[in-house]
Amino acid sequence: MATETLTATSTSDSPSQVRVLLSTRHPDISLPENPGPILVNTNLRRYALSTLVNTLLQSEKPIPFEFLINGTFLRTSLDEYLTANGISAESTLGVEYVRAIIPPLYLASF
Amino acid sequence: TTHIQPASEALPRSAEEARRLWSHYESLTRDLSLSLTEQLRLILAPTLATKMRGDFRTGKRLNVKRIIPYIASQYKRDKIWMRRSIPSKRNYQIMLAVDDSKSMGESGSGQLAFETLALISKSLSILEAGEICIVGFGNEVRVAHDFGKPFSSEAGAQIFQHFGFQQTKTNVRMLVANSITLFREARRRMFNVGTELWQLELIISDGVCEDHDTIRRLVRQAQEERIMIVFVIVDTLLKGESIMKMSQAVFEPDTAGETKLKIKRYLDGFPFAYYLVVGDVGELPVVLAQALRQWFAEVVECG
Ligand SMILES: [Mg+2]
Repeated sequence: MATETLTATSTSDSPSQVRVLLSTRHPDISLPENPGPILVNTNLRRYALSTLVNTLLQSEKPIPFEFLINGTFLRTSLDEYLTANGISAESTLGVEYVRAIIPPLYLASF
Repeated sequence: TTHIQPASEALPRSAEEARRLWSHYESLTRDLSLSLTEQLRLILAPTLATKMRGDFRTGKRLNVKRIIPYIASQYKRDKIWMRRSIPSKRNYQIMLAVDDSKSMGESGSGQLAFETLALISKSLSILEAGEICIVGFGNEVRVAHDFGKPFSSEAGAQIFQHFGFQQTKTNVRMLVANSITLFREARRRMFNVGTELWQLELIISDGVCEDHDTIRRLVRQAQEERIMIVFVIVDTLLKGESIMKMSQAVFEPDTAGETKLKIKRYLDGFPFAYYLVVGDVGELPVVLAQALRQWFAEVVECG
């Protein structure tokens, strides 16, 4: 049993979950009811967050979204964003979403 | 390696500031702490009272269970009397584990944590229920007051020095693992008390933690070692950020093996079997008394 306890204490140092508070300035895509903070894994990227917003919106056809944190577009995972900007996963992250303006890559490729 | 840190020089708060804070929160919670002490005294009274037990040749009261064997043995097995046994006074070891992470400071829960810390440590020390240990946790687990050390206002101020609410992680898994180690050591020191020693941990935190599966396993391990853990969630209530409303989004494979997004209520997956959500420190005496009552009921049932 002692070994079990010791195994549990050896831990990786990267944060793996963070609370996000989603918001938008566009009433047509705003969430029906404020879901409050949502705990997500920090390995999430734009696509997964887009899935999250679409699920909350219960949209029939998924809308591609872009995400802004402190005014800059999220181009990496949340984890990389937090590390690059020196933000700890202890804070609730305000995440603003907008419709993606650039069409998805596979459509532009032909 | 162990992550339990001894009291180091680099404490987040100066001695003067800690002393000032302690006297502020001590007087702020004075009435509450008296009321909590009274409630706990009522609960503890029957468990501290002397019990009639044993098989003796002489005594105060007959042990009814021994009468028939006594007659059957032609009055030879004559240890039929019970005597009053005096229980040891220090039968409890209570650990207060307070979240020292940044989220507590940012949400304003730090203040509630200080109130709670003053309230509970004061009540338990007036009660003389047993030994108190206070730890802070975040990235690491720090022992701010060890079992066996007497409690006083000076000790209270020293405890406050350990809390800055600046730690950048909330490692509840490490806390539970290290608590088990601390409880084992504390139990070993009180070897003569044996199974009569009851150990309780009260965790005070905003409740946001990860790695629920490992934590659940550790909580079970603690339970097997008769360490009861009660998680007191200090709800922040700031910006509508109640933990009751918080959800968790997880990408998980469904039955067909396809990764699907699931949005669950955060508290539905909470790994602690016993937890309380407290928004106002004023609710604590009643709520904690309830928790302790449940704890004693459990212990009595197990014993
Ligand atoms: Mg925290």
